[in-house]
Amino acid sequence: MNQHALLATLAALVLLPAQAADMNKVLRVALNAPETGFDPAKVSDLYSSTVTENIFDPLVTYDYLARPAKLIPNTVSALPTISADGKVYTFRLKPGIFFAADPAFKGKKRELTAADYAYSIKRHLDPSIHSPWSFLVDGRFVGGNELVKAAGKGTLNYDAPLEGIKVLDKYTLQLTLTTTNFNFLPILAMPAFGAVAREVIEANRDNTNAHPVGTGPYLLKEWKPGSRIVLEANPGFRKLVFNATPGNDPVDKAVVQALQGKTLPQVGRIEISVIEEEQPLWLSFLNRQLDISGIPQAALQSALVIDPKDPLKVRLAEQYARQGIQLQRQLLPEITFHFFNMQDPVVGGDSKDKIALRRAIAMAFPVSETIASIRRGQAVPMNYIVPAGVAGHNPAFRGTPKYDPAAANALLDRFGYRVASDGYRTRPDGKPLAIELACGTSALDKQWNEYWQKTFDTLKIRLSFKQGKWNELSKANHQGKLQMWGMAWGADYPDGENFMQLLYGKNAGDSNAADFKNTDYDRLFEASLKLPHGPERNQLYDAMNKIVVAQQPWIFGDIRMRSTLAHRYVKGLKLHPLLGTSWRYLDLQK
Amino acid sequence: MLAYIVRRVWQMVPTLFGVMLLLFVLFNWVGGDPSYILAGKNLSAEALAGIRQQLGLDLPLPQQFLIFVRQVLTLDFGTSWSTQQPVSALLHSRIGPSLLLTGSILLLGTVLAIGIAALVAYLRGSVTDRLVTLIATCAMSVSALVYIIAGQYWLAFKGGWFPIMGWSDSTLDNLLHYLPLPLLLGVIVGLAPDIRFYRSCFVEELSHDYVRTARAKGLSEPVIMLKHVLRNAMIPVVTSLMMSLPYLMMGAMLLETFFGIPGMGKEVVMAVERSDFPVIKAITIYIALATMLFNLLTDIVYKLIDPRVQLH
Repeated sequence: MNQHALLATLAALVLLPAQAADMNKVLRVALNAPETGFDPAKVSDLYSSTVTENIFDPLVTYDYLARPAKLIPNTVSALPTISADGKVYTFRLKPGIFFAADPAFKGKKRELTAADYAYSIKRHLDPSIHSPWSFLVDGRFVGGNELVKAAGKGTLNYDAPLEGIKVLDKYTLQLTLTTTNFNFLPILAMPAFGAVAREVIEANRDNTNAHPVGTGPYLLKEWKPGSRIVLEANPGFRKLVFNATPGNDPVDKAVVQALQGKTLPQVGRIEISVIEEEQPLWLSFLNRQLDISGIPQAALQSALVIDPKDPLKVRLAEQYARQGIQLQRQLLPEITFHFFNMQDPVVGGDSKDKIALRRAIAMAFPVSETIASIRRGQAVPMNYIVPAGVAGHNPAFRGTPKYDPAAANALLDRFGYRVASDGYRTRPDGKPLAIELACGTSALDKQWNEYWQKTFDTLKIRLSFKQGKWNELSKANHQGKLQMWGMAWGADYPDGENFMQLLYGKNAGDSNAADFKNTDYDRLFEASLKLPHGPERNQLYDAMNKIVVAQQPWIFGDIRMRSTLAHRYVKGLKLHPLLGTSWRYLDLQK
Repeated sequence: MLAYIVRRVWQMVPTLFGVMLLLFVLFNWVGGDPSYILAGKNLSAEALAGIRQQLGLDLPLPQQFLIFVRQVLTLDFGTSWSTQQPVSALLHSRIGPSLLLTGSILLLGTVLAIGIAALVAYLRGSVTDRLVTLIATCAMSVSALVYIIAGQYWLAFKGGWFPIMGWSDSTLDNLLHYLPLPLLLGVIVGLAPDIRFYRSCFVEELSHDYVRTARAKGLSEPVIMLKHVLRNAMIPVVTSLMMSLPYLMMGAMLLETFFGIPGMGKEVVMAVERSDFPVIKAITIYIALATMLFNLLTDIVYKLIDPRVQLH
């Protein structure tokens, strides 16, 4: 796999603007939910990011074909040099990369420089911006905390020298971290860390979300919030020629055959519609009003022929295969889980009876059944905090307890949860045992609730549901008012740290929704931060997973499989676990 | 008449204040905290506090309400909390498609419903009347969602007579291409209850003594229907129509969602889901204002239809 990753590469041959895109080629795609805007320091939703990743250029990006995901230089001439202590990252930019034209540049061509990246990264520290990504950079850079503190609640002083983010010369950027971290680079590949031009931001200070100007392959042509977004090929985009060697995946060969030697992007215009309902999305795709689409849950059975013995073994239904529709699938780099509030007097705590209660609930929840019925077989059980495809994953680890309601009941009996005369269990101290599970209000939530009700009925524990919108429940959880709630976490970057931090004690009340505080886990996590990805760090991750299995602050859920369809004439498509879109690599040959 | 209008306009002030107060209390009670949405994955106490400060949610409630009052007086509701776009620009871009859709539905639906209702009222008790009443009753018992899903599937996808969905910047293109199917479905959804309501208005008028007198005088049935019955039956019809006019602004949420029409219905849903109070405030206030204005207009139209009506 690594050998394959080394072979597949993209090369920027000549850095001269060369518009290759055919403006008559229009790619029509859809977002399943409304976007919020296009300022990379202000938006964090998946839908906005799919657009920003096509407008802005991060320093590094991912090889399109290599699996597992492999970082490659984007606007830099090579991957950065990293000091022996893992603290100093030095980047050398390619000269001759220009921003898309904008009135803020007063008619002059504006070259991308190291100062643009310094400014763009500092924006995530700016207290007046409230970047949703600030947790990735807070306290990371030498002198950063002091600069933020000096800003108070006002704007960051971007002109003040900052040791941690230093421009050495026009094309050289040096980042100095406060602690050893060999795994920082993937963070800088996120669309959120794409370069913006300071003069554009300052000229559009009141509405930066509507004025994205970057150096990427596309520029924003039209935006009707929540309805329609149109991108057009950036005429000043640097010449980027697709040059890759296919790996073993048959899709690679088709991609290389379609794109080898071609200048990117090929598609001149991308029309993005926001379609939230499943029927119009699906019918629009079948009717060729959309070129690429996911498969709505309701259409899975008709679109795919699913092997009943192995539901992950699927093929496209005959009527679609005949039309030449392409099917691509991949496990999402995400996890889903239900957490217990570890500070709650009923379900939280370290005592054996509380651990037994949490374990019993985990043992009685039928993960396989929910995968079969709710996910229609298109998911796998989650067994490790770090999902497959993310550095640090251990495929051999089995974190989900065996489904065994009888053993779960026996466990509760053993730890003093007796069944009272009303048929429901009491707590070991004789008080009534009742648990409230937070949930959303959708039809899908109601399906999940049926399984939870069945689980608790099996255990003879009273269950009630607290329904609410996500932000209401999140607020209630912050106030310690929830006992249990389900969540999902998608990879921001493909490193185990992004997942293991979800149970780090210092993140309690933030990303650690369970409020899990375990000194051993925290010690191991802190030690893991100082190690590069490899066997030594993986051992620490295994130990941390064992602690989580033993303490059961979470009930591991499942990991979903994404299926994507494209019409016959869409060439160059290969799903990437971290790039939200493949648009710049696509060609349309109708 | 002028004194009446001035008095009614003055009465709008306390009504509007009541609407503002109710909206403000409701939002702060059950509206949800937008800072948890805007914070993304960064849910630290500092991040949440910073966002609340930026949105002005950390201000004392009376001060927040005064800001609301100022926004209503200036009709400047600031920017959307979720997208940062000016609320006025958002609503401006949304109102056109909504009015085109709901206005067309109202116009076509009303003309058809009044025509059919007048006909079946005239043929009261006949097989046609019973058949139309039966069909209307059955049609009313089917959810609007079923019409939309079935219509989109059979007429657009299977039949290929319409695009599945879409909207253009060209009004002509929309009228010819994208509007017909949602218009047809919108009319079908509203037709049955309207026919039944208007029929009952006409039937009631037909049973009055003046109709018998007109027949006794030898007036022809068309003259009785068009000159006498229709005019008198127009009072409840106008009331129903005028009351529905303000809600044209709200758009047709289901139709807009299924047919990709960038109207107000979609905007309302998005604003509520995202706890986007500036947008919710603006839409509510505009609807309240429009409702009060159309109520006044309804009274004036009564007077025009029937000069015997006295406005006090």
